[in-house]
Amino acid sequence: MPAMKAHPNAPGAGLADRSGRHLSDRAIQNLFIWPTLTLLIAMNLFPLLYSLFLGFTDYSAIANKPPVWVLFRNFGDILASEQLWKYFATTGRYAIMSVGLQTVIGFGLAMLVRRKFFGSGLITTLILVPMMISPVVVGLFWKLMYNPTFGFFNYLLGFTNAAKAPDLLASRFAGQLVPGLALFAVVIVDVWMWSPFVMLLVLSGLNAIPEYLYEAAAIDRASAWFQFWRITLPQVAPLLLIAVLFRTIEAFKSFDLVMGMTGGGPGDQTELIAVNLYRQAFLGSFRTGPSSALAYIILIIIIAVSNLYIRYLNQIRGEA
Amino acid sequence: MARFSEHGPRAPVTEAIRVDKVNPRARALRRFIALIAVVVAVAMLIPVLVMGITAFKTRTDILASPPKVLFKPTLEGFVYLLFDRAIATQSRLAELEQNAKAGKLGLLDRIALQAGMEITGPSDYVFRLRNSVIITGISTVFSVLLGLFAAYAFSRFKIPGKGDLLFFILSTRMLPAVVVTIPLFLMYRQLGLYDRHLGMILLYIAFNLSFSVWLLKGFIDEIPKEYEEAALVDGYTRLQAFFRVVLPQAATGIAATTVFCLIFAWNEYAFALMLTSERARTAPPSIATMLGSGGLEWSAIAAGSLGFLIPVVIVTFALRKYLLRGITFGAIRG
Amino acid sequence: MKRLSIVLLAAVLLLAGASLFAAPKEVIILWAQWSPADYLQQIGSMYEKETGIKVKVVQEPWGSFGDRFFTAMAAKGTEWDMVVGDSQWLGQGATGGIYVDLTDFLKSTGIADSVTKATLTYYGEYPTGSGRYWAYPTEGDADGWAYRKDLFEDPKEKAAFKAKYGYELAVPKTYKQLLDIAKFFTRKDKGLYGVAIYTQKDYDAITMGVENTMFSWGAKWQNEKNEVLGVVNSKKAIEALQFYRDLYEAAQVPGLSNAFYTETNDAMIGGKAVMVMNYFAFFPALANKGTNPNYWDKVGFFPNPAGPYGNQHAALGGQGMSIIKFISADRQQAAKDFIKWFAQEKVQTRWAELGGYTCNAKVLKSDAFLKATPFNPAFATTMTFVMDFWNIPVYSQLLQVTQREFSKFVVEGQGTAKAAMDTIAKEHDKILREAGFIKK
Repeated sequence: MPAMKAHPNAPGAGLADRSGRHLSDRAIQNLFIWPTLTLLIAMNLFPLLYSLFLGFTDYSAIANKPPVWVLFRNFGDILASEQLWKYFATTGRYAIMSVGLQTVIGFGLAMLVRRKFFGSGLITTLILVPMMISPVVVGLFWKLMYNPTFGFFNYLLGFTNAAKAPDLLASRFAGQLVPGLALFAVVIVDVWMWSPFVMLLVLSGLNAIPEYLYEAAAIDRASAWFQFWRITLPQVAPLLLIAVLFRTIEAFKSFDLVMGMTGGGPGDQTELIAVNLYRQAFLGSFRTGPSSALAYIILIIIIAVSNLYIRYLNQIRGEA
Repeated sequence: MARFSEHGPRAPVTEAIRVDKVNPRARALRRFIALIAVVVAVAMLIPVLVMGITAFKTRTDILASPPKVLFKPTLEGFVYLLFDRAIATQSRLAELEQNAKAGKLGLLDRIALQAGMEITGPSDYVFRLRNSVIITGISTVFSVLLGLFAAYAFSRFKIPGKGDLLFFILSTRMLPAVVVTIPLFLMYRQLGLYDRHLGMILLYIAFNLSFSVWLLKGFIDEIPKEYEEAALVDGYTRLQAFFRVVLPQAATGIAATTVFCLIFAWNEYAFALMLTSERARTAPPSIATMLGSGGLEWSAIAAGSLGFLIPVVIVTFALRKYLLRGITFGAIRG
Repeated sequence: MKRLSIVLLAAVLLLAGASLFAAPKEVIILWAQWSPADYLQQIGSMYEKETGIKVKVVQEPWGSFGDRFFTAMAAKGTEWDMVVGDSQWLGQGATGGIYVDLTDFLKSTGIADSVTKATLTYYGEYPTGSGRYWAYPTEGDADGWAYRKDLFEDPKEKAAFKAKYGYELAVPKTYKQLLDIAKFFTRKDKGLYGVAIYTQKDYDAITMGVENTMFSWGAKWQNEKNEVLGVVNSKKAIEALQFYRDLYEAAQVPGLSNAFYTETNDAMIGGKAVMVMNYFAFFPALANKGTNPNYWDKVGFFPNPAGPYGNQHAALGGQGMSIIKFISADRQQAAKDFIKWFAQEKVQTRWAELGGYTCNAKVLKSDAFLKATPFNPAFATTMTFVMDFWNIPVYSQLLQVTQREFSKFVVEGQGTAKAAMDTIAKEHDKILREAGFIKK
């Protein structure tokens, strides 16, 4: 790192005069943080509080009646509903499968392109393309591609006879019902779309690892596995965790993709909790009160999961 | 170990001159990995390619079974995208065909006629595209800037309640959009922000800030404090240290954050649908639902998505140098 | 500087004066984004030529049409004067204070008598049987069937069919015949299948599909007292549901496990299905050379067949035009003027010519209408026996139950028809009691 020349205005070596012309640390702190906080509070506080308030009422946005307090009835209904627990379980399975695969594949992709080679910039940009398409459109087109009659998915895998081919979105293989196949099909699309996200973040972290660490380890005859486990992974861990954190939050809110492809079906196999939330909040229902309550329950779950991640993140930072 | 001294290596160690990577076997391995990367990239792009060719197919070709890889291309999809059209009734069809034979129809009209329709005027697509550019551009710039400042402050200063504040910032992203829509809608109507560019810009900035702050903080945390401290000792102010020391080294983080914020705002659908009407509506709500007569116009949707994709690809490609930059530090790191 | 301020002042006064003289010069109508809305816009241009008042039809994509409308109404929005809303929205529109009560208007102008009784009931009346009207029936619609005439008329097929089933291959008049024909034409190795029926779970498609069999079996959603136990899960309803599933299993085009109007039309256009279920509103695409190049002249249409007990009904679609209550009084009057003009026979004739499905009784019976397109005769017949789902404010909750159960039984293949219908009956009962529609 090039040594910095002494500032021309500095009265010799030593601390610069901080009062008067220059902003103090305190001032900078405030200047940097308050705009962000103000904007966030202004945009989010009212919706958050209003939704919370509505969760305790039976309000419907289109009925002519004012909100009526029902206290905890909405929450009780939700927690007692077997259907909703099923949807939570489906969402949990979806989140684990999807985020897990994204992490592994994203990491793998990053390891592939980390070294500069001719066209690596172009290749990286191209791998990022799936992430750049609107989720609604992705859902629509994968639905077209999964179609056993005129879709490319079966065709490219070699299944030309529709009767003997998988019909992933209907959870069928050659006519036989294979439960869970539809959910897996949705996971595939989600992973396809978001592995590049993980890749980009991990890549940024990988590129910051000083080479001499590897060199030193190699000179000491460390195996490739050791290099990965002790050098690569710890350096990348903070960024990787941020990626996983955000992907998990999004998995619980995941809605556009599923709605476009399966609408929650067949049956309830892909009815994620956010899809059901949408059904209750809109689609003619407009059960604003109960859906707000459901949204807050989802929020609590997300907060709990995020806390785990953040605690782990801080732990890692503390060590590094 | 002659290359090291107590001030760090004299020349930065790059992978090319790494002791364990200069032998021919390592070089061959590198080339092999590059090849795999290309293969993987192509495999991941296949669905995008499918979407691409769909933009040039006629409706029957799209529905052909088994799917057609070779077909006669048409510009139908683009015509649907850029123009409003209506199904021509039998009488009108005959009339139009006569005109076509007499050479009185333009190219675009002829393409529409092939699909049994006639053009009735330009669609809203270009106007909406313009809205998308304005809203996404401005909101991305501000999300990154505000996020950068906040991330720096959180990273370097002891702020009371830092953990809680950071969590609050994260939590703004946790409520599903569905539920926040109605309160936001009411709020916007009251404030006069409904169907206004400013309204959407503020919303996207607020939404992207959570990610922007967290990600940039992650990057800035990795930059050792010692550099700024060295600069401060040398007489620079905190602000100057920020601009001259931290900023350049956070370039990768800034580039990555910009790309993500851009993609999110550009493709955002739910809020754009509910909170805009005529003036400020962006392109995503209209692309995904291009209804032809009797069904979805796959080719128009493909054409629209493809066109919509290209600006983002261009911006990302332009930033690729920063995205892939390697930052090597001296022995101070660690 | 002084001259500039005088000019500015004059400009401001001029503008202010102009706005004082402005009466509603524009009528704004909200509808879904599809061809009939385009036709309405053309009708609107006619209105502008005659009266000088501009008509603007704002089109929202189907998927978000309802959500956007009701969200805006939740905030008492006034950006539109009228909406051409789904028949199912009547309950919410009426009780939510969104729609203007049009009873006196429609009766005094005679418009109420110009449309068929069935359409006035289903597209305009709430509560059903009360005689209070909230919408002018604009776009009639119902489920019907399109079929491959060329295959039905092929002599080899006819001979093979007669040999196998013992009667002539013809347009099915009963569902049993439809099932036979569907099975006959399902040839998996040739990529040809009997039917493409509704199965979409998102909103209401699969329920509408099952309704076609339910209603033709003589089953109903409720009795006169709105009771559902024993009615929804009656023996006939269970049979009908089982039939729908059998049809799906035996003859549905693969990949149509989440099918609505796009997919079923695509099945016909791609030559995969021999008989296709769809709303009449989407049939113009099948008869058009450009959108259906391979089969446009080989497609015929027939109304929903009858069931085994002699009933014949079809699921209702369609929309009616309502006036939004939050707009000013003179805008409401301008809207009423438009409806009065629109309801005239000559305009309705033009509406039908363009492709809109008129509900005007005289036009529906006219020769011109019946000969205009290959599907109009089937449409005219169908409109005499349509039946609807619930249109009360809680219809969406009832719909969610049926969507879930039907998708589970028909598409996923889980459970039995009886279990599905029993669950529906139980949950409908609960919802209706909570909402106060079943008096104890």
